[in-house]
Parts: sequence; structure tokens; C-alpha cells
Amino acid sequence: MFDAFPFDEWSEDIAEFWTYGGEGSTGTYIMTALGVAAMLIALVGFVVLEQRKLRRQTEMLRASGALERPNVVVATTTTTTIITSD
Amino acid sequence: MISSLFSSWLAQAAPTAEEIQAQVTLDSQILTEQFYFWTVVIMWLIHAGFMAYEAGAARRKNVMSTAMKNILTIAVVTPSFYYFGWYIYGCFEEGWPKDGHGSPTVEGLEVLAGFCQNTAPWAAQMGPNLQDHVSAVFFLAFLLFSWTTASIMSGALIERVRLSAFLILAVVLGSGVWIMDAAWGWSGGGWLVTRYGFHDSIASLVVHGVAGAFTLGVLLNLGPRIGKYTVEGAARTFRGHNTHLTLLGLMLIFTGFYGFYAACLVIQSTVFPGWLNIYFSPTTLGAIAFVITFGFAGGFTGGWFASKGDPFWTLSGGLAGVISVSAGADVYHPSLAYLLSISGGMLAVYAGTYIEKKLRVDDAVGAVAVHGVCGFYGVFLVGVFAGGYPTGINNVESSFGGQLMGMLAFLPLAFIPGYVVSWILKKLNILRVPAEVELEGLDLAEFGQDFFPEFERVPEIVIEPDGREVDAAPVLLDAYWQTNGRAETPVGTGERS
Repeated sequence: MFDAFPFDEWSEDIAEFWTYGGEGSTGTYIMTALGVAAMLIALVGFVVLEQRKLRRQTEMLRASGALERPNVVVATTTTTTIITSD
Repeated sequence: MISSLFSSWLAQAAPTAEEIQAQVTLDSQILTEQFYFWTVVIMWLIHAGFMAYEAGAARRKNVMSTAMKNILTIAVVTPSFYYFGWYIYGCFEEGWPKDGHGSPTVEGLEVLAGFCQNTAPWAAQMGPNLQDHVSAVFFLAFLLFSWTTASIMSGALIERVRLSAFLILAVVLGSGVWIMDAAWGWSGGGWLVTRYGFHDSIASLVVHGVAGAFTLGVLLNLGPRIGKYTVEGAARTFRGHNTHLTLLGLMLIFTGFYGFYAACLVIQSTVFPGWLNIYFSPTTLGAIAFVITFGFAGGFTGGWFASKGDPFWTLSGGLAGVISVSAGADVYHPSLAYLLSISGGMLAVYAGTYIEKKLRVDDAVGAVAVHGVCGFYGVFLVGVFAGGYPTGINNVESSFGGQLMGMLAFLPLAFIPGYVVSWILKKLNILRVPAEVELEGLDLAEFGQDFFPEFERVPEIVIEPDGREVDAAPVLLDAYWQTNGRAETPVGTGERS
């Protein structure tokens, strides 16, 4: 340990800076509130963004007719699929 | 230069006893800090493993949407656990705080006085703090446990749950439900511990069992994947796109479990005489390493024989084996752990088959069986094989009754929120992707691309209940129409409106 190193003095300065004013201070409460708000906004954003994507894709799929009810009788075997029209 | 430094070092006066004590204390705290930090690093493998495990179990069309759940779990559980989950752990050990927000006043727990206040997000311990080397890394270890609970649920829901719905459920489970049960039964001052001697040292029930019960509640509202069951209710099998990836994921999870096990212990040599379990009862790191390793050995063995050599269930059996012996990991002899984990591995296979084929609950990776059933089984086993072992700071004897009390408390604590929250999401129509998107695959809808662009797209295969491999497209389309486009109804003949 080198006594000349001003660890205690520097650490106090750094601690005051790091904690935005220290435990239970106005700055810490504001940071907490902002963080909670960002978290909630992100959660709502996940829902809204996904809803848009799914709605768009669903409408596209329905419009394409790709999922129309097949007018077929399906019979299958172990290795092949036989599709026969009515 | 070197001789000058050496001379100045020699010139210093001999340290006093107080200075040596202060230095030893600081060194001890820094060792503790390093220990938990590296357990966190190792536990990341659990999440890398869950991602690979579930992505491999998903069909090709759902790979990225499956993996993204595991990644974004970290995005939502981390802040929610920081802002209110950790506070629940610190302040709800006696249930709802009776005298404001204070730490429990248990004789012998003076070392934790003020823990509750230290867990609020504006506390000095919850940020950079040069006077505290332990609180932050201890929080991080618990945060990784929280991710794990969400990842346990994740695999069961794949291929039809909405990403955003899963993330909401992950917050409820990872930052609310599991940490509440941890406060009650996985802490030094938890009411189940100090009054009933509840013993679940490495979290068979408080992590795995609770996550499994929560998941079951969600699955009942989510329903099976389209085409999972025939009109008669027999179960088809969907083949994952990459079983090798699934098995690699499981091996990563197993590696991460060593970090998980280690992080469940408490070490701080200037405060406690040695290694302690989460209830502050003495143990050793070697004792739990014995049990986890024999747990894997027995679990693989049980899973192999019960499934008649199925690769997926052999490795899942290893996981189930460990979970079955985790609750008593600080107590069990390795041979006992080996025998019990064999039974746990077998139980997971039988329970998984029953849940899939008899209950007709589509749990895509067997999470309810492996984590849920074996989590409860592990706590039950402690009541049978470790009854009388003194648990906790006030040395209440473990007992079958105490273990039963824990099971009775945690089953509704986990199942009801899972069922209720998923029911609400279902009523809001944001729990499950539209049936059309499910048939096409979630990746195209969520990300607009196929994640294997240079590979030929081969027809999807489904295994019929009689074992025949058939082309999946006509089967799934038929199931889609027979269920009126509502995949939660496995049997039905109504027309789609």
C-alpha cells in the first residue's frame, strides 16, 4: 500500500458523483422514476408493435387465399403424401 | 525503480492489529464480490443454453421468434427486478410487511438488519458504492435466477405465444411471483423457514417448481399448437428443426447450473465462519457439487431407461434429476442423490407423457414435468430423507409437514397468477398469435424473413399418433379449419366465420 495515493479523498469525490446525489436524494428518485417510466413504455411498445406486425401479416395471408379450405381428400403414407381431388 | 519501491515498502511501520483486521475484512469482501460476479458470468450460460435448447426444439419457421423470447427476457426482467422485484425479496419475508417496511426481527439475524431498506432502487446499495462490495453482486445473482424462471416458462409456450404476451408474463413471474416465494421460503427470515423449517436449499421448488406451476396456468389459457391433437384428442409430435442444437443447449444449461448452485450459497469469511446455505446453515461448496454431479448422472440414467433411449428425454432427465435433489443438495450423500435423481429422471418422462397425452396440455419442451413436477418432488423428498435436519438461523427441524406447508403455499402462489394474467391477456386477444400466422410461421410475421435463406425449404413433417411421418401442411390446414381457426379448441368441426 502506498500511503501517498489519495484513495480516500478521491473515492469520496467519485462516490458523490456516481450516485447522482446519494441515497434517497431527489436526483435518485428522479432517475428511478424515469427508469420505471421507460420500462413501462417499452412493455406497452412491445405489445403495440407486435400487434401491428401480426395484423398486417394476417390480413395479407387471408387476402392471398393461401389458407382457404382445401377441397381435397387427404390420404397419407409413411413416406409419401397423396392428394386427390373430390 | 524496483529497489526504490522495495525500500519505501520496508520503511513503512508495521501495521497494527486493527489495520490488519481492516485489510482482511476488505479482502474477504472483495473475494465475496468476485465469487458472485463469476457465478453470474457462468449463469449466463443457462440463458444461452435455454435459447439454443428452445430454438432447436422449434420448427424452422419459428426459430428466431423462439430465440428472441429468451433474449428479450433480459430486457424486461432486469429493470422490473431492479425496480420492484428485489424490494419484494428484501421486505416480504414475513409476508406482507406488518410494521411498515422493515427487515424481519428474527433472533440471530442481526447481520441482516436493514436489508429491506437496502433493496429499494434509491438505496445507496443499489448503485455504485465504494463502501459496499457485496450488495450489487448478490442482487445480480438473484437477477440471474429471475431470468431462469422466465426461461423455464419460455420453452413451454413456443410457436404460438405472442412475444409481447410472453414478456408481460416473464415480468410477473420473474419479478413478482418467484421472488415473493423466495422471500417466504428461500431466505434467512422467511416465515416458512423460521416457523416450519422449510428446506429447499438449491431451489427445487422456489425456482423450478414455481416456474412450472406458473407455466401450467398459462398453458391452460394458451392452448395447444394448431394440429397438435387429432379430432379424437390423440397427440401428434412436431419435430424440432435441430435436435443437436437442443442437446447443446441443454449441455450449456447444465454447465451454467454449477454457477447457479454456487450462487445459492453465502460466503463472507469475516462475518460467517464458512460456507452457508441460503438459510445460513453450514455447508460446503464440495457438498453441493457432489450432489449436482450425481444428480446429472442419475437423471440421465433414469431419463434414458424411462424413455427407452430417447435423446431429448435422456438429457431432460438429467435436468429433472438435478432438480429432484436440489432441495437437499447440502444434506444428501452422493449415493442418495444418485438414487433419488434416477427416480426424478424417470418421473419427468412419465409426467411429461401424462401431461401431453392424457391431460392434453401442449407443453412444447416438457417444462411442467421437468421443472414443475420434479421441483415439487424435490421438496417432498427432503421431507422424507432429511427430516430432522436443523434449518435456518433458529434451527427449526425440517419435517414432512414443513415441506408440505411450503408446497401448499407455493402451488397457488404460482399457479393462480399464471392463470389469471394469461386469462386477462387472452380476453384482450393479445396472448396468442393469429392462427394464420401460426400456420405460416412466426418468423415471417415478426421479422419478415426466413432465417435459413440459403437452405432449400423442405416440406414440414409431423408424426401422427400411430407413428407415421406425414406431410404437415394438409394436416395443419385441416386442423385449422376443423377448429374454426381457434387453435385453443383441439376438437371441433365448426366452420370458420
